[in-house]
Parts: sequence; C-alpha cells; structure tokens
Amino acid sequence: MSTRRPLRKGSAKDVDEGVRLGTEQSAGERVLVEAAQSDPAKFEVLYLLHFERVYAFVASRVRERSTAEDVTSEVFHKALASLPSYEWRGVPFVAWLLRIAANAIIDHAKRAAREFLAPDDPPDRAAAPDLQASEMRAIEYRAQLFLLVRRLPEVQKQVVYERFVEQRSIREIAQRLGKTEGAVKQLQLRAIQNLRAQMEGGHG
Amino acid sequence: MAKRSLALQLDEVVQWMLVSLRPQPEETPDRELASLTRVAQALRDLPREEFRVALKSDLQRRASMSEGKAASASAAGTGEAKAKTVHYQRPGLTAITPYIIVRPAAQFMEFLKSCFDGIEQMRIPAPDGSIMHAEVEIGNGAIEVSDGNAEYPTAPAAVHLYVDDPDATYARTLQAGATSFYAPTDDHPSGDRWGAVKDSFGNHWYIAKPRGWTPGPEGLRSVQPYLHLREAHKMIPFMETVFGAEALGVHKSPEGIVHHATIRIGNATLEIDEAHGEFQPMPCHLHVYVPDTDAAYARALESGATSIEAPRNTPYGDRAAGVKDAWGNSWFIATYLGK
Repeated sequence: MSTRRPLRKGSAKDVDEGVRLGTEQSAGERVLVEAAQSDPAKFEVLYLLHFERVYAFVASRVRERSTAEDVTSEVFHKALASLPSYEWRGVPFVAWLLRIAANAIIDHAKRAAREFLAPDDPPDRAAAPDLQASEMRAIEYRAQLFLLVRRLPEVQKQVVYERFVEQRSIREIAQRLGKTEGAVKQLQLRAIQNLRAQMEGGHG
Repeated sequence: MAKRSLALQLDEVVQWMLVSLRPQPEETPDRELASLTRVAQALRDLPREEFRVALKSDLQRRASMSEGKAASASAAGTGEAKAKTVHYQRPGLTAITPYIIVRPAAQFMEFLKSCFDGIEQMRIPAPDGSIMHAEVEIGNGAIEVSDGNAEYPTAPAAVHLYVDDPDATYARTLQAGATSFYAPTDDHPSGDRWGAVKDSFGNHWYIAKPRGWTPGPEGLRSVQPYLHLREAHKMIPFMETVFGAEALGVHKSPEGIVHHATIRIGNATLEIDEAHGEFQPMPCHLHVYVPDTDAAYARALESGATSIEAPRNTPYGDRAAGVKDAWGNSWFIATYLGK
C-alpha cells in the first residue's frame, strides 16, 4: 500500500495536457479505455470526456449543424463498435477518435459529392488526417468552452443556447424569457465575459 | 453607460456573425470587443444539449446490447464484479471521510489525538519526512490527513463531531490553541448540546452531543463533514445524482434557502447549509466510497463537476477517481476492490 488519495498528481490533467499537445498518453486514460473494452457500459465515461472535442472538430469542418450531429453520432457509434480492436500504441485515445471523425467527414463529403458534384472533384479540405498542433489547440479551446457554457448561471446559459444554438433573435429571446431586449443583450455580454474570464484563468 | 454600449456592440457583431457566418470586419478594432468576439465565434459551433444527451442514451442502449458477452469475460477474470457489489468500502472507513490537508500534519494529528481521543491507524511518510497520508480514527468514524503538496494544497474543513462530553472536548480544543465561536449551549437550533471552535490549522469543529435524536440503523456517525455552501440547495440533487445520496432532513426557508440538511451516502452522513456569517464556504477534500467508481465519476462530470483524475486502479487496492464540484470541493471517489 502506498498513498491513498489525494496525493498523486491528477492524471486526468495529464490526459488534457496530452490532448493539448496531441502526443502524450496517460496511464489513467489507458485504464479507462481498457475498462470500456471489457465492459462496454463504461464507454459512457469516454464519451463524456471526449464528446466536446469530437463535436468541436467535426463542427469546424462541417458547417451544417444537422450534418455535424450525424457525423458525431457516427463517430461514437463506430468507436464503440471498434473498441475491442483498438490497440494501445501510445496514441492518445482522442487522436483515434479524431481519425475516425476525419474519415467520417470524408465519407459524408463523398456521398454529398456523388449527389451534387462531379465525381472527380474530391473534397481535399477534410482529407488531412494529421492534425496540426494549432488545430488541436483550437479544438481543445472550443471543447473547454462548450463545457464551461454548461456551468454558466442558468439564465445566462439559456441566453447563450437560445442565441447561438437556436439562433433566435434578441426580440424573440426577450419575449420567451419575459425580459427587455436590453436585459437580454446585457445577459449575452455577461455570459460571454464570464466565459472569456474562465478561459483565460484557471485552466492551465 | 460604457457597459451598455459594449453589450450593444457585441450584439451587433453576434447578429452579423449568425447571419453571415463570419465575424464582422471591425473598422476600429477594439481589443475588448475583439476578445469577446473570439468567444462568440466559437459559440457558433456550440452543440445542442439535447443532442449530447440523446447520443449518450443511444450509445448506452447499444453498449448494453453487447454487454452480455463482455461482462462474462471480465467477471471470470478477476471476480472483481462480485467484490464490488458486496464490499465496496475499505475496512476501517465509512462511506464518507473528510480528507484534511493542513500543515504540519503531524502536529494536527496530535491535536486530533489529544482533543478528540483520536487513534492513529496509519501514517505514511513522504521521502522528505512530511506526512503523505495518515488516518486517525475518531469514535466510529475517521479523518484522513496529509501535508499535501503543490497539487493538493492546504484545505481546512468543517467537521461536526459527536462526542460524549462536549464541554470537556470544547475546553480541550481551547487549551490546544483553538478559538471559540461559541461555548456548548443547549439553545442550538439542532436541539443538540452544541459548541463551535476554530483550531489553529483553520478547521472548524462543531462539537455536539445528540439529545433527542434517533440514530439511524447503523448509529450516529461521530465524524460528519459539514459543508457551508453558496446555493446549498443545488448540492442536494448533485449528491443524489452522483452518489445515490439521500436527503434525510432538509430545513428550508420559505425562499428555498437551506438552513440545514443531512445527507446520507452509503452508511455515512454529511451536513450542508447555506453559508452565513462566520461560516463561509471552505472548499475541502472528501473521500467517498461508492459501489461503482466509474459510474459515479461519469455522473459527476455529467453533473458539472470537473475531472481531477480519471478512474484508475490504485496500488493499495481501490479503484479511485477524483472530481471537483461546482463549489470547489474535491471528491475522491473510490471502490474497494477487496484483496
């Protein structure tokens, strides 16, 4: 018996660092993946940890929201199905997920291309499977931001979802929330300032 | 004035962005506005909450379909599944133990022994001679202690202790350098004889003797963490969801402010109330035993906690994970695998 909690450095943080750098792998994540391999119900943890990253990556390459959702859904279903064959080679789990995502995006583009474009017009933009560090950082930034939105005070969160997800007008939101338009704009500002402050501090 | 105009300016940018899918070219670049715009731009890709939740249930359904064969494979290997459902708590600890990190921990342990008749059960030194981990048994509960380190800094806690003689215990703490909030009194709203002190390490001790309280089936716990929280009412659903907790007695004001609540997790309890007066939030460390660490960890993240450490098997035979709740408390979630 060595140490009891909470004396070891948090390895979930290492996971985050690894993801940020796109290179490292942590023992903690390996345990999670292996747990999910022997018990698929534990895949849920991996999903919760990586949903935002996968979605951020897909949404950055696929503009249409419904397509982004289809592709994201496909990625996790495929990952769950292929998990038993996933082998540990020091590749971060998120990199494996993003590779599945990159392929899914290409498939989608090809299917769309067959319908709308000349067949010899391949969609190059989505094709690069190796992510640049800068793109990795951008994904990490967005994933973190999406998580933080869920923790905003209730009414600010509501304004953010109504405005950015539902794309409602300020007037409509004001009516739905029973507030003045000025108040809704203030809430929008407060929410975004809040998010910016949290993104700048405390997430190193 | 200036703030209001910033709200308007920002909304113009957002409006433009949502319509044209790109940020408005800024003619007079304002740094404040530009940095807000960056955030707003990223929010355009914000996933729908309903989608995130629906996909999760989808995957759970799918996983449960393939579970049959995988479950038999894992159970055959280790016998772990059985151990988890029967004995998920480490012997000597209850479901909830305060983990108090103060310096010097060795001195703090002396305080626990001399004031509360604590019995040292374990002491693991770090290479530099400080205390990496220790356990002190008090009554039918325990307190875990450490000097901490850079990752786990000092975090005094508030603890409710049930003792046989609160007046004598109170006096001993004062002799050991504690300062008094108030001496034991019969007028405490709980109906218990109840006094309160702050020790020289910064911990609060609410020293009480139960009167007219019917102990639970397993008896009253000597050691109960006491959390003073802002928006304490939100802690109850958090603990219910994550730990399968049960609120045993919730006293609320008509406005919904929690004056006091006792929450049971497994065979132990803790207490919460809305922070007030001298009893302000003290984010602390708590060690909790649950039947399934992985599931509790996932539910915690789902409920807005952040990960400190993903589930892993520890060298001392627990499966353990760490999360930090929205109030800043660290929960060390563990399942004793029983070796």
